[in-house]
Amino acid sequence: MMEKVIEILMDIDDSVDYETEERLIDDRILDSFGLISLVAEFENEFGVRIEATDMIPANFNSARAMWAMIQRLMERC
Amino acid sequence: MAYHTNLYLFLFLPAVLLLYQMAPRRWRSGVLLCSSYLFFASISKGLVIYLAGSTLLTYGTGLALLHLKQKCSSETAEVARAQAQNIREKFRKKEKLVLLAGIFSLVFLLGYLKYYNFFADNLNRLVERAGGASFLSLKRLAVPVGISFYTLEAIGYMMDVYWDRMIAERRPWKLALFLSFFPKMMEGPICSYSALSEQLGTGDALKAENLTHGFVRILWGLFKKMVVADRLYLMVNTVFDNYKGYSGMVIVIGAIAYTIQLYMEFSGSIDIVIGSGRLFGIVLPENFRQPFCAVNAADFWRRWHISLGVWLKTYVFYPVSVSEYVKKWNRFARKRFGKYWAKVGLSALCLFPVWFLNGLWHGAKWSYLFYGMYYFVILLIGVMAEPLGSQVRKVLHVKENSRWWRCLQIGKTWLIIFTGELFFRADTLRAGLAMFGSIFRDFDFATLWNGTILNLGLGRADLLAIVLGCIVVGIVGSLKERNRPVLDGLLQARMPLRWAVYCTLILAVVILGAYGSGYQEVDLIYAGF
Repeated sequence: MMEKVIEILMDIDDSVDYETEERLIDDRILDSFGLISLVAEFENEFGVRIEATDMIPANFNSARAMWAMIQRLMERC
Repeated sequence: MAYHTNLYLFLFLPAVLLLYQMAPRRWRSGVLLCSSYLFFASISKGLVIYLAGSTLLTYGTGLALLHLKQKCSSETAEVARAQAQNIREKFRKKEKLVLLAGIFSLVFLLGYLKYYNFFADNLNRLVERAGGASFLSLKRLAVPVGISFYTLEAIGYMMDVYWDRMIAERRPWKLALFLSFFPKMMEGPICSYSALSEQLGTGDALKAENLTHGFVRILWGLFKKMVVADRLYLMVNTVFDNYKGYSGMVIVIGAIAYTIQLYMEFSGSIDIVIGSGRLFGIVLPENFRQPFCAVNAADFWRRWHISLGVWLKTYVFYPVSVSEYVKKWNRFARKRFGKYWAKVGLSALCLFPVWFLNGLWHGAKWSYLFYGMYYFVILLIGVMAEPLGSQVRKVLHVKENSRWWRCLQIGKTWLIIFTGELFFRADTLRAGLAMFGSIFRDFDFATLWNGTILNLGLGRADLLAIVLGCIVVGIVGSLKERNRPVLDGLLQARMPLRWAVYCTLILAVVILGAYGSGYQEVDLIYAGF
C-alpha cells in the first residue's frame, strides 16, 4: 500500500525521491495545490476521510508519514 | 506611538525594558501585559475595552471547549466502542456550536466596526439606483488599532483548541498577553498561540545576545523605513494624487515606487517589531522572505506577508479543501470532466474564499477586493497553465533551475506584483483602472532620463539615497536568498567590523533618513488595516 502512496506522489511530481525525502512540506517541495490533489487521491484510493485537523505538515512531510496517517484514518473508519 | 517614532524608540521601549529587568521574574509577564495595554490605550484610548472584551470571549470559548472535551473523555472512558463513537459525535456537535459562536462574535465585532459603513454606503447606492431612498445611516465608528491582527490570532487560537492541536489556556493573563503583546499589535506578524505561549511566560532576564540582536534588527528596520520608504512616499503621493495629469512611463514609475515603498515600509516595520520582541528574548515569526526573488505569484505569497498567508491557508484554504461540499464536487468532476478540470475546479473553489478574504481583510474598499480577486485569477491561471508550461519546457529543453529561465520568471512575477500594487494603492477602483489604462497612453522610455522623474516630488539627492538604500537592501536580501544571512554573520564578526557596521547604519538613518523641512512623519501603512 505504501507503494500506492508513492505512485500517487509520483503522479504529482516525478522528480522527487519519495523513499528518502522527509521534508516535503517544510522545504516547500509539495505546495498547497499539490496537497489538496493528494487529499482527493488518498480519499479516492483508500476510502479514508481526511479532515481539516489532519492538514498539518507532520502528516505530509514524507511518504512514510502520509502512509502512517492513512493507516490511522483507516482505523478511525 | 508608532514603532519608528522617538516616543516609542527612546522612551516607551527603554522604559519597558528597564521595568521588565527590575521586576521579579514572576512579575515580568505582568510588566509586558500592562505595557501592552498602555501601548494600546496610547493609540486607541477607550477602545481598549474591545481588546479586553475579545480576549475574555476567546478565553471563555477556549475554556468551554476544554470543558466539553474533558466531559467527552470521561463519558467515553468505560463504554463500548460503538457507543463511544456516538458520544464523541454528540460532543463534537456541541464543540462546533461553541466554536462557531466564538468566531461569529469576533467576526461580527470586526465586521461592524470596520465594514459597516462600506456595506451601508453600497447598499444605499444600490437602492437609490433602483429608485428607492437610502435607508441605512452611516455611523462614526472608531476602529481599535490592530483589531484585524488580534481577531485573526484569536480565531486561530479557538480553532486550534477545537482541532485538538493544543490545550486551551487556563491562565487568562497569558492569553491576554498573547493577543495584546505590544511589538506585534500594530502590524503583526499574525502569530499562533502554540508558537508563542512558552516564550511569553518565561520571564527570563534580558540577555546581551538578545539585546544586540534586537538592536541591530531595529536599526535595519529604521534604515529601510526612514531612508527609502519615507522618501518614496513623496513621489508616490505626487503620482497617485495627481494621476489624471500623468500617463505612460510615469504611472509605471509610480507603481514601482509604491511597491518598493510598501516593501521597505512594511518589512522595515516588521524588522522593528521582531527586533523589539527579541530584546525581551521573544522570537516572533518572520513575515518576509525575499519576495522579489519569487518565480511566480504563488511563490510571491509564500514570501510576502507570510503570516497572513499561513493563517489563510491553515484556517480557510485547508478547511474548505477538505469540506464535504468540495469533496463531493471533486468526486463528481473527476467522473464527469476528468482529472485536469477537477483540479482546476477544486483550486478555484478553495482559492476564492482565501483571496476574497485577503482583499477584504485589508480594508473596506472595492480596490482591495479587486486586489484579492486579481491574485485569485492569476493563481488560477497558474494552475490551468501548469501542464502547458511543463510541455513547453520539455519541448524547448528548458531546465527549470537554469539562471536565465529563473530571471525570466522573476521578471514576469515583478510585472504581476507592480500591477497588483497599482490597484492596491489607488484611492478608488475607478482611479486604479484609469491609471492602468493610461499606462498604454504616451508611453515613452525617455521619461527615465529627460528630467521628468525630478518633477515628481524628489530631488537628485533623494533619488541617490533611495537607489543606495535599495542596493544595500538588495545585496543583503540576495545573500540571504543564498543562505548567507548577513545579520547572523555580522553578530559573529569581530568587534571592530561589527561596530563599524552599527555606526554606519546609525549614521545612515540620521543623515539619510527622511525628516526635517520638506518631509513629514509617515504613518505605518499596515497599521491602517
